[in-house]
Amino acid sequence: MEPARPAAEDTGALLARVAAGDREAFGRFYDATAALAFGLIRRIVRDSAAAEEVAQEVFLQVWRDAARYDPRRGTAEAWLVTRARSRAIDRLRAARRRERPLAGRADGPAEPAEDADAAAAAEERGRVQSALQRLPAPQRRVIELAFFEGLTQAEIAAQVGAPLGTVKTRARLGLERLRGLFAEQGDRG
Amino acid sequence: MTRDEIAELAAGYALGGLDAADHERFEARLAAGDPEALAALRDCEETLARLAAETPAASPPALRAAVMARLEATPRAPDLAATRGRPRRRSPWAAVWAATAAAGIAAILVGLAVSGRYERRLADLEREAAAIRREVAEQRALLALLRDAATLVVALAGQPAAPDARARILWHPREGGLLIAAGLPGPGPGKAYQLWAIVGRAAPVSAGTFGVDSAGAASVRFRPVPDVDQVDVFAVTLERAGGVPAPTGPMVLAGKT
Repeated sequence: MEPARPAAEDTGALLARVAAGDREAFGRFYDATAALAFGLIRRIVRDSAAAEEVAQEVFLQVWRDAARYDPRRGTAEAWLVTRARSRAIDRLRAARRRERPLAGRADGPAEPAEDADAAAAAEERGRVQSALQRLPAPQRRVIELAFFEGLTQAEIAAQVGAPLGTVKTRARLGLERLRGLFAEQGDRG
Repeated sequence: MTRDEIAELAAGYALGGLDAADHERFEARLAAGDPEALAALRDCEETLARLAAETPAASPPALRAAVMARLEATPRAPDLAATRGRPRRRSPWAAVWAATAAAGIAAILVGLAVSGRYERRLADLEREAAAIRREVAEQRALLALLRDAATLVVALAGQPAAPDARARILWHPREGGLLIAAGLPGPGPGKAYQLWAIVGRAAPVSAGTFGVDSAGAASVRFRPVPDVDQVDVFAVTLERAGGVPAPTGPMVLAGKT
């Protein structure tokens, strides 16, 4: 598997130095990965201010837990993405819990909150020819709902009206397909 | 468990949407170091990292500054490099326990440091307050002494043995007195100055002994002398440390009331 992002920096080695308390290495790790983490977090929380808060927490967690990174388990980018995604989903769920009672009081059907940030993010997504778009729609939907929306497989099954087993299979097939697509990209690049 | 089942669990685990039973099942495999499960999870996580990398976004410069500024105040996990040799994946619970323990220890250490600091500070304040209370009590006693009509103020003059010495005595028959002296030479080792109250032709009565500071000054409280209501003369002689029953040494100060 190719690294998640072709980087001039050896981010795994940087993390090892961060684990030893090297602030300069941390700064370089931040510079090499901030766009990746911030892009993902903002895409999930759909709000720049909230994304900044989450990103701060994520990078402070990197500083605290760098010693836990094990290069045999994956790239530093994957390690970071797992943490960034998890924290961003936590924030998204907390925001949903706050919004739900308000939406329940609305007279008409609630419009999806498409603020300027979300619009910008959508535009950004549109410019990128995402590998996701080359997936069969049902697989794409499962991955989007799970990874970017934080829905459980049971929630996805309810939302798309498919049996849980089907959702599980789509998740696996979707990720396998994506992996193949990224491998092709890696071969080309 | 078939390969597909493992791959399905890995995908669900990486995407973060497994139900509790599946979650536990897969974590048990990871904890057991199942190479297939570890490899499948690694593939899924790398794939999702690539997916995330498709939509990078320039992070605000203020974010970097804020993160760097907070590093100092962020305690770091103990280095787990020593445990990396184990092929087993650490159970997430181990991480939770470690984090909890680290947080607890950090809190205790901070607490101890803070409470230690405050205890020291409190002890300092207590000492300071006690010193101030003592001083206030002395000043009050002095003021009471000065206000009392029965208090005598006696000037003592230096005698040939100590021509530069001078002193004042505030004297109250029942409250005792205060001697303020200056210009006295150091009494020398094993020696002390002794104050005497002399009434008429009777033998001098000791009012106590005292030393002087490096500048030759003294400020000494004296208890009332038993059975002495009226004093005609105060005198100070140089005696051996601890005092003597009757004056024997040279007289350094003397003054009539």
